[in-house]
Amino acid sequence: MNANKLLQYVSGYVNIKIEGYYIERFINICTTKQILLWNLKHEDSITLHASVEVKSFKELRQICKKTKCKMKIEGKKGLPFTIKKYKKRKVFILFLILIIVGIITLSRFIWNIEVTGNETINTEEILALVDQEGLSIGKLKGSIDTKEIINKIRLERDDVAWVGIIIKGTNAVIEIVEADKKPDIVDEEEYCNIVSDKDAIITKISAQNGTPLVKEGDVVTKGDVLIEGKMEGKYTDPQYVHAQGEIQAKVWYTSTQKVDLKEVQKQETGNQETKYSVKINNFQINLQKSVPKFEKYDTIETYKKLKLFSDFYLPIEIVENTYKEYEEVVVIHSVEEAKQIGIDRAAEELKEEIEGKEIVNKQVNVKAEADSLEVEVIYEVEESIGVEEKIVF
Amino acid sequence: MRRKARKLDEILEIPVELSTNNPKITIVGFERVLIENYRGILEYQDYFVRLNTYIGIININGFNLNLEEMTTDDLLVTGKIDSIDFESTTEEEVEEEK
Repeated sequence: MNANKLLQYVSGYVNIKIEGYYIERFINICTTKQILLWNLKHEDSITLHASVEVKSFKELRQICKKTKCKMKIEGKKGLPFTIKKYKKRKVFILFLILIIVGIITLSRFIWNIEVTGNETINTEEILALVDQEGLSIGKLKGSIDTKEIINKIRLERDDVAWVGIIIKGTNAVIEIVEADKKPDIVDEEEYCNIVSDKDAIITKISAQNGTPLVKEGDVVTKGDVLIEGKMEGKYTDPQYVHAQGEIQAKVWYTSTQKVDLKEVQKQETGNQETKYSVKINNFQINLQKSVPKFEKYDTIETYKKLKLFSDFYLPIEIVENTYKEYEEVVVIHSVEEAKQIGIDRAAEELKEEIEGKEIVNKQVNVKAEADSLEVEVIYEVEESIGVEEKIVF
Repeated sequence: MRRKARKLDEILEIPVELSTNNPKITIVGFERVLIENYRGILEYQDYFVRLNTYIGIININGFNLNLEEMTTDDLLVTGKIDSIDFESTTEEEVEEEK
């Protein structure tokens, strides 16, 4: 039944409406002449809806004359009619074909390279390395030998533990697993001292193994031995050990900020203009006049790669240029304000070093000059210090 | 002659609708009737279909009757069917056999 319907669709059929008093005769003549009718439906006693094949439609006219019926076409259905409809739109078809061919050819190239998994390695370095081996934007997918590239990268870079290149659509994803830099582990068996790695004041020292050389309250500088890996027994010769212990110390972090009392600040006026341009492989087309009407402005460029599906990148980029107008405002700080600004900036600068540590004390020194203020902020932080150092005989 | 042919058909187990011109009527549910071996349509209305066959007339009564598929010897009628009745026109033949 379904196959039959498909056949009807492919060969095309006409929906007709027949009006007349001899409809039964009309149907009988059709059957004897082997004209296939289907979907016969009576609307009322003299009108009939039916479907008929295109090739037998001409014969129907004669039968209609014979039986004195009126026939009206209600609709043409099927493939031949759809084709006919699109035959008139040659340009449309041409472009459809062009687009399909374009997409197929474009999908054979690499249009985007992604590097994932790198934290310390620069993405550009990897891209440059990969470029040398022939994987760059615009290369044919078939010409890329991923195995070769992977081998080259692993040969050339020691800090890469594993590389994988997956080509998904027009997108090449380079996955990198970074090798951890081997820390200088001092073997348990080996003799070592514990040495200070910062300038500090010792607040607490407890040696689990070895002899402590400093006391609480001692000032140590970087490189001083805190716990020596040497034990002297009363009755035995000195014995070398692997020093172990916990050392708490106060460490100071200082930051000096110079704050001008008269500062020129950028203040956004809130006016902004957005202009778009299209970039096709380094060839940029500006869609609008590209110079904004502002006198002073910041430009923010955002690039957006076009993609068809999740992995089918096209070699077209849309560049969005946002121009933000700003005014230069002269701000005069009072001494108090300048001090606060200095403290804030210092805190920002030292944030990384003191984060997560216990701050014991904070000291602010202010030195006033003619038109500026020098703010020195000292953080006193308690933390554990000391690194193991091998004893060299 | 005719009797002999009928016997032969029986022996060869040829279906009756093929060996004779008897119509085969298949009713599926209450809304589909397939008639094979019909000769023509005598009357067709929304509520009434009258078909001619080689051995008589078939009347189908109902509502919204459609002739969904029509070929030279098959006819599929769909719609709400009330009743189907027959009018035999082959009494003469029966008499002949007697």
